[in-house]
Amino acid sequence: MSHDDHQTHHVNYLAVFFVLCGCTGLSVLFDVLSMPKGVTIVLVLAVACAKAMSVMMYFMHLKFEGNWKYVLLAPTTILAIGLPIALFPDIGRSYYINAAPQVTSWADEVAEYEREHAAATEGGAH
Amino acid sequence: MGIPIPNSKLGMWLFLGTEIMFFTAFIGSYIVLRLGSNGWPTRYEDTHINVLLGGINTFVLIVSSYCVVVAHEAMAQKSFARARGYLWVTTILAFLFLGIKGIEYKGKIDHDILPGRIPETSSQAMVKVADQLEELVRERFHAYTHADVIKAERPADIIGIAPLVQALPSAERPSSLTDAEFKAFQASSVVDYALFQQWLDLKQHIVADVSLDSPALTADYLAKREELAEGARLPALKLEEVRERLARLKTSGPLKVKAGDALPEQSGSPEQAAATGDAGQDAVTALNTQMAGLISARVFDPHPMVYGNIFASCYFIMTGFHAIHVIVGMILFGMVLKQGSSLNERWTDWVENSGLYWHFVDLVWIFLFPLLYII
Repeated sequence: MSHDDHQTHHVNYLAVFFVLCGCTGLSVLFDVLSMPKGVTIVLVLAVACAKAMSVMMYFMHLKFEGNWKYVLLAPTTILAIGLPIALFPDIGRSYYINAAPQVTSWADEVAEYEREHAAATEGGAH
Repeated sequence: MGIPIPNSKLGMWLFLGTEIMFFTAFIGSYIVLRLGSNGWPTRYEDTHINVLLGGINTFVLIVSSYCVVVAHEAMAQKSFARARGYLWVTTILAFLFLGIKGIEYKGKIDHDILPGRIPETSSQAMVKVADQLEELVRERFHAYTHADVIKAERPADIIGIAPLVQALPSAERPSSLTDAEFKAFQASSVVDYALFQQWLDLKQHIVADVSLDSPALTADYLAKREELAEGARLPALKLEEVRERLARLKTSGPLKVKAGDALPEQSGSPEQAAATGDAGQDAVTALNTQMAGLISARVFDPHPMVYGNIFASCYFIMTGFHAIHVIVGMILFGMVLKQGSSLNERWTDWVENSGLYWHFVDLVWIFLFPLLYII
């Protein structure tokens, strides 16, 4: 389990910690402030991305790692982003409708039948 | 040639790569589902999502992440006692995180905000009230059949058993019961039969979909239907009516009496009153009040929440899997802490790798907090 290649990078972890705390406070502040929903979403997610970058870069030392990090993380990132994109056309656009399509079409068929039937009856009466 | 990092670290990063895809599947699906819905429960009264508790948990994880990175630094400097101290703090914070999460989960369970249990429309909410009342009636009736106070071939048939429960005050004591035991059953049968009537009445109104003001499934009801003009309907049952009925049951019980009042007619015939006596009446009023408390605890106020079930599914699957990861992290740190004062540099890679894992757990929460608690 041992290896001697533990390079020490002089990172001020305490400063990163305070940045993360500040960002969390900022997220809560954006929630408390009455802004349009869209603006809140963008701001809060931007803060989350900033926090995630801080953790990855400094706490996980990715800033100081070699280029292997791209080789390792690029495929997984592409697949991770690909999933929501693949789901969106099928599920993300009104997946949840209250009227069952088969019932609606059945009702349409009945209405059509009744219309035709009424026309036939009227025709017969003449 | 090769990647210039220890094999264990490469393994951890490859594992984290799969973990990224694992959590993105949940988070991505959640975003897609939410964008695709025509609404989403966000009010505290609906979701019981507590931003303050979520915020505290975010802070707890950030502090723990800081402690882990400092612990790894201490390991690299061969300051093992210091590293152990920071890892202890991290583990305690992990416990704190799970404790707060437990409080949040309890709030959800107490309000029945669970996948598949949330009514999404008014009619579903009314049916849920009737179902929960039925469950209570079944449980109460089971006490009679289980103790052989009532002998029934089909104990599950509560509609068949109800007349036997109603007739219990004037029934003869079975030899298997003492006098006091049987009197207690006689007293409770009056309240339990009233509860049964309340449930049956509500159920019939739901089935017929008529207002509680109109009788349902009786000769009067059928006569009223006959009088209707073609195409006209009796007033439909409204959620507000059911809500009011339930509120009354929760405050005054199924019998509509206050302590000290005489029993109303619906509690039984003169023979029944004679059987229970004055002392029996006191017991019945006390049972009625007790039943009001039982209904309050067992039957939830009707609260339809559109998209509530998909919300609850997303909430529990994401926070649940995250909590499992927290527990795994605690085990990883526990292995190091188990070494006690004999912790040495051989554990440096272990601490670094479990630290990477822990930061990832923090990273997931960084996204879950805004997505579930704020937006």
